[in-house]
Amino acid sequence: MRVLVGKRPFMTQTTTVVTPERFDRALSYADYLAAIAVNRDQFQHYYDIARLTDDDVAFFREAAVLPSGPAKILVIAEAWCPDVFRGVPVFARIAEATGMTMKVVLRDENPDIMDEFLLNGKARAIPVAIFYTRDHQYITHWTERPEVAHAEVARIRGEFSAVHPTVDLKALTSADMPTVKAFFDARLPQHYPAWQVETVREIRALLAAAMAVA
Amino acid sequence: MGPLDPDRPMSGKVPIVYTIRGCEACVRLLERWNADGMEYEERRAELSQATMDEARTFGSAVPIIVWPDGRVEQGFQGHIGCYII
Repeated sequence: MRVLVGKRPFMTQTTTVVTPERFDRALSYADYLAAIAVNRDQFQHYYDIARLTDDDVAFFREAAVLPSGPAKILVIAEAWCPDVFRGVPVFARIAEATGMTMKVVLRDENPDIMDEFLLNGKARAIPVAIFYTRDHQYITHWTERPEVAHAEVARIRGEFSAVHPTVDLKALTSADMPTVKAFFDARLPQHYPAWQVETVREIRALLAAAMAVA
Repeated sequence: MGPLDPDRPMSGKVPIVYTIRGCEACVRLLERWNADGMEYEERRAELSQATMDEARTFGSAVPIIVWPDGRVEQGFQGHIGCYII
C-alpha cells in the first residue's frame, strides 16, 4: 500500500512506502537497542547526557496534543554511525517526554524508506527522525546532525589543514593518523553535548514551521 | 584470525580491510580489489563490538586498510568513507 501524503517540503517523492502497518512493524527503541551488535554503551552514554529543558518538554507536549501534531517518530538508523548513537537518544528523550511512539528501521535493510529521505536528494545520511501525526500524516523530518555541527567540523578541518597542509584528510596513512586523532580529539568531543541541544532546537523549529505554531 | 595488535606489524600475507555494510567507499575499494584479483581479508566492523574496537585502534573512518607490513591507510580515492567514532 502506498499512502498519499500532503505537505512534504523536503522530500523527493509525493507518495510514501512508510505505511501505518510498516511503521507498526518497525522496532521499538528498546528492541532496537537489544538487537544492535555495536555501540550499546555509546547509546546509553548519549542518552544519559541528553537533556530537554522544561520549555522543550512544554513545547513538545503542546504540539503532541494538536490534531496536526506529532504522535509518532520513525527513525532510520545504523548502530555503527556516530551521528546515530549521538542523535537517536535525543529522539528517545523527546518521545519519552511526550508519549510519542518511536520506532526504528535499519537503513540498509530498508533502502526504499531511505530513498524517500535522502539528504539533498542524494546522500543516505543518518539518523533521520520522521514525525507523523496520530493518523500517520507526514509532518517533517530531521537528518544527520545539526547545522552547527557541520560548521564546527568544517572549521576544525580547516584549522587542521592550515596547520598540517601536507596531510590529506581524505587519504590518511599510519604516519598521519596519530596527528589527526590528537587534533580532532582535542577539539570535537567537547561540542557533542551542545550538538544534542541544537538537535532539539532544530527539531522544534521544524515542527513549529510545519505545524505553523509558535 | 584473531584481534590485531596495533603495536605490532601484521604477520599475515594479505591486507586486512575494515568495512561497514552500506559504506560506498568500502564497496568501491573492494570492487577495485576484486577486479584486480587481489587477496584480502575483510572485517566488517558493524558486526561485533570487538571488530569495531579493533578498527578504531587503526582509524576513525572505514575503509581502513592494514597492510601486511603494518602500514595503515584510511579512505579510498578521495572518499573518506564512513566515520566510526
